[in-house]
Amino acid sequence: MGLGLKWYHFALWIGFIIFMLLMPEMVSKGTLRTIIFANFLAIFAISWDILSGRTGYISFGHPFLIGIGAYTTAILTKRFDVGVEYAIPLAIAMTMIGGTIMFLPALRIKGSYFALVSLAFMELMYQLVQVIRPDLTGGTRGMSGLVTLTRGAVNGYYLSFTIMIIVALSMWLLMRTRLGTALSAIALNEESVKGSGLSPTKLKLFAFMTSAFVAGLGGAFYVHYLGSIAPRALFDINFVFTIIVATLIGGASTIVGPMFGAFFLTFLLEYLRPYLPGAERYLIYGVIALLLYMYQPKGLYQIMINQFNRFKKDEDDG
Amino acid sequence: MVKPLSIKNLVKNFGGLTATDDISFDLEEGQSTGLIGPNGAGKTTIFSQIMGEYRQTSGIIELYGSDISKLSTPARIRLGISRTYQVPRPFSDFSVLENIRVGLMPDSIWKMITQGPNREREIELALSVGFSEDDLQQTPDTLSMGDLRKLEMARTMATNPKIMLLDEVFAGLTVGEINQIAKLIQNMRKENMTFLIVSHDLKALEPLVDDAIAINYGKIIAQGAFSEVISDSAVRTSYLGTE
Repeated sequence: MGLGLKWYHFALWIGFIIFMLLMPEMVSKGTLRTIIFANFLAIFAISWDILSGRTGYISFGHPFLIGIGAYTTAILTKRFDVGVEYAIPLAIAMTMIGGTIMFLPALRIKGSYFALVSLAFMELMYQLVQVIRPDLTGGTRGMSGLVTLTRGAVNGYYLSFTIMIIVALSMWLLMRTRLGTALSAIALNEESVKGSGLSPTKLKLFAFMTSAFVAGLGGAFYVHYLGSIAPRALFDINFVFTIIVATLIGGASTIVGPMFGAFFLTFLLEYLRPYLPGAERYLIYGVIALLLYMYQPKGLYQIMINQFNRFKKDEDDG
Repeated sequence: MVKPLSIKNLVKNFGGLTATDDISFDLEEGQSTGLIGPNGAGKTTIFSQIMGEYRQTSGIIELYGSDISKLSTPARIRLGISRTYQVPRPFSDFSVLENIRVGLMPDSIWKMITQGPNREREIELALSVGFSEDDLQQTPDTLSMGDLRKLEMARTMATNPKIMLLDEVFAGLTVGEINQIAKLIQNMRKENMTFLIVSHDLKALEPLVDDAIAINYGKIIAQGAFSEVISDSAVRTSYLGTE
């Protein structure tokens, strides 16, 4: 398949997985709960990265996709007593349909226009869940008392980490194939993709569907971790920005970058909480994101790669 | 015998402007044809219609006898026709090899995932257009205009065309680069590639083509052997504006 895998790729992934599996032994339950949020944010950031980081179709409406996954499984389990083993796959399928709907405007528009339309998708969804059938969606108050899949921080941590690492690894591998190259090519020059005999429509549809798959998976498991769903928290522009900033801080179009970006951002926000309990925290992360772009626009991932290469070079030089 | 490319009564209107006015011509297998005419004559518009980037107002475009007028650009390319652009359009963040890789990809997501890149073919194509081993990892921002045109040729060749449309291949090139590209075209002619070449540089074009088609204001004004076409009085008038 020509993935270009080296021994250190295996070593780093295995090392990371072992480190994360030992995490419950090393940190407090409270920290563990923070990491659970980081895991979910990582899933959402990876989902955003597959679509926007790769193809350049910037989505400001990712909660639209996450929301479809979350609401579908919440409604099915709460209102219709469907088991989660059916509700979650159905939620993912629904999200992929949502992804296809979001893809339609991308046939014609790109750049900032697409970003605005995607934002409209999220707003639309926010209004719709409150107005249409509030008996199903719970209206403005959302739903609580949903089925939770795990009990306690440790189990919740293991489940969220397992999903996250499977998503991260499989997407990382997928993007190392020629498909990853083709999707990046769309961001660079869509006309030249056509001129190379490839159908951008097909590639974009695949990116939207894959992104929706991951968003739906993350959204569905997220509500079954929280046990509740609240439209105001879900369809929130700050939530969009958290996803995007996590991806960009980590390094867009790298899959691994958004994963680390999500961890970095979650802990940053968490440690700022005692000092800045309100929305001012977002100001701080804005400043940090800005400084990082000035120093290294390609994000933390590139900084790590540079360090790694320097280390490797030292080793090669003896 | 079935013609590689056959254009019949092609018309393209942009509002009140008729950019292509009832153009008909055939390309012969393995022949190289020059498409000449002053600025704004409609040469590039013809290319764009052949490739499906613009839809013609009326008329038929046939590739090896079958009408391709309704096909998308990628579908036409897969049938064996490809073009280069006046302004090269590389993938800016990609290396030379990665740029060529995109041209070599099959239009199937499954195959993109399951089959790795054909590195040998990538290198072979890069070297065949005149890149050196050191250039292979360069990105377009470090390449000269000549190198960008070579890259454009390589990516076009990667789609495995039987017919190549070259748009102003010599524009902005040094004499050395012109010779390099000319040599490349000559080599492909030996391998029976069919060419349609647009160029303002008639001197550079002459040795590369068998025939020529001259157009002005969207109409064919002369057609035939290259030497006859460029000595045609209507053609001379269109270029120079005097008799």
